[in-house]
Amino acid sequence: MSRHAAGRHPVIQLMHDTDAIFNELRATLAELFELDPARITPDARLLEDLEIDSIDAIDLLDRLRRQTGRKITIEGFRSVRTVHDLVQAIHRVVNEG
Amino acid sequence: MAYVIDIEADDRIADRTGPRPLRDLYFMRVMTTGLGFLLFGLFGTILGFLVVPLLLVLPGARSARQARVRRMIRLAFRALVGFMNQTGCISYTFSGTSTLGRPGQLVIANHPSLVDIVLLIAFVPGAACVVKRAAWRNPSMVLAVHAAGYVANSPTETMIEQASALLGSGECLIMFPEGTRTRPDQPAHFHRGAASVALRAAHVVTPVFIRVRPPHLSKAVPWYRVPAIRPHYSLTIGAGIDPAPYRERPAPIGSRMLTEYFKSYYASGLRAT
Repeated sequence: MSRHAAGRHPVIQLMHDTDAIFNELRATLAELFELDPARITPDARLLEDLEIDSIDAIDLLDRLRRQTGRKITIEGFRSVRTVHDLVQAIHRVVNEG
Repeated sequence: MAYVIDIEADDRIADRTGPRPLRDLYFMRVMTTGLGFLLFGLFGTILGFLVVPLLLVLPGARSARQARVRRMIRLAFRALVGFMNQTGCISYTFSGTSTLGRPGQLVIANHPSLVDIVLLIAFVPGAACVVKRAAWRNPSMVLAVHAAGYVANSPTETMIEQASALLGSGECLIMFPEGTRTRPDQPAHFHRGAASVALRAAHVVTPVFIRVRPPHLSKAVPWYRVPAIRPHYSLTIGAGIDPAPYRERPAPIGSRMLTEYFKSYYASGLRAT
């Protein structure tokens, strides 16, 4: 899976397992937004609970592109409201094609 | 040409209470302000439909044609500023403009009036600009803003990426972090877009502090309600901000810190000018 190597960042592999994606994502969100990992639960709402807004989403997608090695467009993430939604969206991206 | 700036006098006139000070060619200014808009529309149409296409068919690389269109827009806005100044619509001071227009420079400004963008484009050579999306829906403007390589304002990835790419390729970019004009009675609200662009690609961020006394062509007021005395625009340039220290933190944190810094810098800068 070397083509997915993304420098110093942990790599989200072609995971079929949403739990593994959640764990990676929690580490990423905690680092990128300097959040307490305990706050990052599947039910947490990105905007209201974690204060991750549309400008942050751009930085987050940048990071996810590097971590997954996939072309991620913002279109697939428009309906994302919660951490769970985000995990599902990433799951779709990494497992398609 | 010295005009005493007395906001309370202006308010008294608005209230129709208290003594009425000299109105400083009030009706003349209503007419010349209207004429200014008319000229903007007229010349904008001529330039947009005839001159821009002409500049685009003249030979030269894409960057040369883009520079040509930007120069045309700058000269047109310079003429508009001259017209407004000569006819007494406004007076202005804007010193130190030779420090503007450097490669990779992000010029930010607060946005109290419609005239802000005209003054900045008129005096910042070669700059690109983030302008409101409506310009792309205006038939006489769309070709010009497109040919000049301006960026449409929206809090989206496209805007952030286009703006960053311009700065990264060594252009100078003008941005209003408030996104839209501030109502005079409300504090400035800085969005994080400008800080995010700065962190991605700016070599230096140069703040311009714009003060208009009395408030003029602001969002809350129709154009023909000109203030009782001639509005004076005072533009001052603050010390450049190096975005590098903010890049040491993760981007979302860095852009929040830089935005907070912009806010406090403007709060003190606008008090001091």
